[in-house]
Amino acid sequence: MMAKSVDAFGFRAPRCGGSLSPMKRLIAIVEDEAAIRDNYAAAFEREGYSVRTYASRALALAAFGARLPDLAVIDISLEDEPEGGFELCRQLRARSAELPIIFLTARDTELDAVSGLRLGADDFLTKDLSLAHLVARVNALFRRVEALRRPEEPGEVIRRGALTLDAERMQAQWDGKVVLLSLTEFWIVHALARHPGHVRNRQQLMDAANVVLDDNTITSHVKRIRRKFQAVDPKFDAVQTAYGMGYRWAE
Amino acid sequence: MSLRLKLLLLGLATLVLPWAGCRYAREMESALRQGESSSLLAVADTVAASLQGRVDLMYRAPVDTAAAQTAPKPGPYDLEPLVLSAAPLIDGYADDWPQLPAAWVWFKKDDEHRFGVLTGVYDRVLYVLLDVRDPHLVFDAPGASSLDPAAMGDRVWFGFQNREGAEQQVFFAASGPGTLTARRVEAGEYGEDLAVIEPRIRGSWQPTPTGYRLEARVPLSMLGGGFGVLIDDRDQRGAAPSSYGMLRPADLHTQGQLIVAAPELTTYLEQFAQPGLKLVVTAPTGQMLARVDALAQVVDLDSDPPPLLTRLYRRFVDRPGVRPPLESQAPIYDRDRHGLIGTLEVTQTTERWGRLRDRALTRMLNFTLATSLIAFVGMFAFAAWLALRLSRLRRASESALTRTGIVTTFPDTRARDELGDVARSFSTLLARLNEYTGYLRTLAGKLAHEIRTPLTIVRSSLENLETEAELSPGARTYLERARQGSERLNAILIAMGAATRVEEAITGAERTRCDLVPLIASAVAAYRGAFAQRRFSAELPAEPVSLEAAPDLIVQMLDKLVDNAVDFSPVGALITVRLKLEPGAAVLEVDNLGAPLPPQLHGRLFESLWQSRPHGSQSPPDPDTRPHFGLGLYIVRLIAEFHGGEARAENLPDGSGVRFAVRLAR
Repeated sequence: MMAKSVDAFGFRAPRCGGSLSPMKRLIAIVEDEAAIRDNYAAAFEREGYSVRTYASRALALAAFGARLPDLAVIDISLEDEPEGGFELCRQLRARSAELPIIFLTARDTELDAVSGLRLGADDFLTKDLSLAHLVARVNALFRRVEALRRPEEPGEVIRRGALTLDAERMQAQWDGKVVLLSLTEFWIVHALARHPGHVRNRQQLMDAANVVLDDNTITSHVKRIRRKFQAVDPKFDAVQTAYGMGYRWAE
Repeated sequence: MSLRLKLLLLGLATLVLPWAGCRYAREMESALRQGESSSLLAVADTVAASLQGRVDLMYRAPVDTAAAQTAPKPGPYDLEPLVLSAAPLIDGYADDWPQLPAAWVWFKKDDEHRFGVLTGVYDRVLYVLLDVRDPHLVFDAPGASSLDPAAMGDRVWFGFQNREGAEQQVFFAASGPGTLTARRVEAGEYGEDLAVIEPRIRGSWQPTPTGYRLEARVPLSMLGGGFGVLIDDRDQRGAAPSSYGMLRPADLHTQGQLIVAAPELTTYLEQFAQPGLKLVVTAPTGQMLARVDALAQVVDLDSDPPPLLTRLYRRFVDRPGVRPPLESQAPIYDRDRHGLIGTLEVTQTTERWGRLRDRALTRMLNFTLATSLIAFVGMFAFAAWLALRLSRLRRASESALTRTGIVTTFPDTRARDELGDVARSFSTLLARLNEYTGYLRTLAGKLAHEIRTPLTIVRSSLENLETEAELSPGARTYLERARQGSERLNAILIAMGAATRVEEAITGAERTRCDLVPLIASAVAAYRGAFAQRRFSAELPAEPVSLEAAPDLIVQMLDKLVDNAVDFSPVGALITVRLKLEPGAAVLEVDNLGAPLPPQLHGRLFESLWQSRPHGSQSPPDPDTRPHFGLGLYIVRLIAEFHGGEARAENLPDGSGVRFAVRLAR
């Protein structure tokens, strides 16, 4: 059923064709806009990934029932379901706790981002992001997944007091407890904690996180980071605001 | 003139009510008076008719039937007694008699000897006052018999006809001043003369400088028609008297009549008497025959109303002056209606219905004034209530469009009157306006969202195209241009969506109490590093300025203000950041030197997506691809309003630059 004719179902077989190599990771793109879908697919395939694309939640779910992809890129509004992406994310998360999920959407409000991340997505990206950045984020996410599967192997680890940052697995710990950060949040913490006391302005944080965001989005990211750490340690105040300049990590 | 005042003036119109009432009361009084007047005339006519031909009642001298048909014609010796209103005290003094010189009748012997008679009737008694001019007053010898010629002094004779028409005489003989009783001469058992005391006729004798005065009373029941007085004047005791007066000297018979009404006339009239009414019967000569006077006995209609209030009303309502009594006259004819035998005068005091009118007037004035007062108070309350509602509506409509939100609920929107309609119209209008404003506000965001998808298609396609190896150099140039164009478009979209995100961030912001002074100081220090081509000066108060604020937002707001100031000031210019304390507010000001604001920009600077100012020659073309959509100042406004303040822009007084000021409520 997953032959070429599946175009009618809105999904596309990898361009390199043939059967799926076990080495090739499978990325599922659920996006109702055909041109975007195909452009993303092309970019990922160029990177050597297998890509399957789906136009709607129903098609995606049907396909996922047979096999789960290695990573899912989901748009929020899908055809006639304005919140279809959220629903899909919930269903995928129910099926697999580890599956990396990225929201890639034109919707960029704080509420959407919070909802998406709360549903268990690993990152929330807007379509302003360039293809190169997108691919880099996907690679990083795979790296994190990879690193988590090999827990014994020590990676590049930064320790700042109670904070432990594992750049390889992109995992943050505070006092030995894991703080679940999205990729963007991880990079922001990483950029701040690498040079404690140094002020990082917003542009620097954006560059570090490989995202194009405006000041307010950075502010809300920082706010969310503080909340996540405070959930572990209510006295957390290591991320400090340098008014007029940016943020710094205080030890 | 406020609505309240106008309604109050309108309320004054209710005072027409008491005024009209007064007018009505006056009209009523005049009509009442007319009616009373005619009814009084009817009374007079009736009473007069009932007296027609009753000479016997009106006069006491029914001597012969022929004469009885008409009123007696007064002769020289006739007396017309006054109708007295009170009985004089028999004391020889004239002070309790009416002072009427014309009523005296004088009789004269010579220049030195004469006497005047004044007669009056009260309660069936004839009173006689004699004023005798006599240079030699001679009293009888004390203790002597009054019939002893040697002891005789001056004496006064009364001659009269008794009820049977027989002539009788009594005399007063005084041996000194004081009261005395008349005596009559009767033939004794042996034919001798006897002076018999007549106890019913008494008098009092008093000397006067010109002679003497005698005051006496005679019951009318003793008297028939005729009556006269004769003076026996003696110059010395025992001398031969020289007599003069009204009696025939030869036999002392009466020559004149006493024209006086029968006592029954008064009784007759009394049956017509009522309180407030006076009936007077006069003879054709004008002499009063009888009088029944009940003018003073006005019945009290009710217990007196509050006299102060009544007097107050009368002062405003009544014409000055006393109400004249009503009078009416009717002639009394003889039996054949040939001639007059008298006149009946009826007088009625107006006091009675004056009181009636007063009572009605008082009640009416009380009622109408109370009505006026109630109407007035009611109008006042209504006006106050209306004004309150109007001012609430005004306040609501004034504040409806301030701040970011639009108030769509109005006070009075549930009222079912016209004001409620107005409020509802306002509310509807504002709701629509709110919808429209909301639509406009979210338009940019929605537009950005809608454009983002096709733009993503363009950008991702371009990026994919770039990876194609077989592109010619020319194609690569076009590709690069297309990519730059799409990047700029993307930047525009981000800016357009930023407003929504800012609003979200602001609504989600948390306020803490913080001190603005170090906050702003550190921010300005950062600006010195960030904008090396401008000079910064911070004017901050020495004391802490702490208020409930979101420090992130305050700094963000300052960022935007400084960004704006940098954009519109020349290189090397001074930018002043100032924090001032005002009552109830902290004011943050950012001054920059540069071109003043065009006047048409005032008030629109802080709107969303308003291009703040076209980039002039003062700042170089922005190499940054981020467009200036004036969102910065919109953010400033949002943050200022979040802190309960306001933002405004003005030119510096000397025109050298522009000042942006933000008031933050403390």
